[in-house]
Amino acid sequence: MEKRFDPIKNKTGDIIEYLMESPDIPENESLKFKIRLCIEEAVENIVSYAYENGQGYVVVGTAVNNGRLVLSFRDEGVPFNPLEKDDPDITVSAEERQIGGLGIFICKQMMDKITYTFEHGCNNLQMELSI
Amino acid sequence: MEVIISNEDQKTKVILNGRIDTTNAEQFQKDIQPLMEGDSPQIEIECSGMEYTSSQGLRMFLMLQKSVNARKGQMAMLNMRPQVKEVFDITGFSNIIKIQ
Repeated sequence: MEKRFDPIKNKTGDIIEYLMESPDIPENESLKFKIRLCIEEAVENIVSYAYENGQGYVVVGTAVNNGRLVLSFRDEGVPFNPLEKDDPDITVSAEERQIGGLGIFICKQMMDKITYTFEHGCNNLQMELSI
Repeated sequence: MEVIISNEDQKTKVILNGRIDTTNAEQFQKDIQPLMEGDSPQIEIECSGMEYTSSQGLRMFLMLQKSVNARKGQMAMLNMRPQVKEVFDITGFSNIIKIQ
């Protein structure tokens, strides 16, 4: 299933709830925890950075493909490949620890596969998890 | 999200309940503001009721830990649920925040 949210400003909560209510989301609480977390991080990145003042849209969707949940996000905001961002250095002390880049890093750690493409002026992010 | 702060002897006890996410991170930051003040704080955070935290919550805990370190204090998070602990583990936060 798929839905377009426009504009997305202040809609992070609504988008998360929409996706979590999809029949594609497994019942298993442990998987749901991971899925919700990764959805939140992906959506929050788009809502915060894709458009100036959150004035733009996102199309979000869920599907199940070969035993994998596929979460997809499409926006027409600033081209941004989150996978190109350096991972935070998780070995340093609290003082040296940087505050940014955590969200996508969490997604990379928790999901089985993340793909990003830029096509027809749109950012396409897909996250996959075996369920 | 609920934050209960109490002071006993020299210790500050904090109880966290519920979820810390995008929708309430700003409120959470305000709620923990009292923990950012005072010399040599001894802070214990009871986490058994904390159901969830996103990276927004992690940022607040990092900010708090930095503040506690700067004031030569101690902070520990107690009884964290396994799934929440996993988020602290994979992000390396378990290395910079004491979790008991």
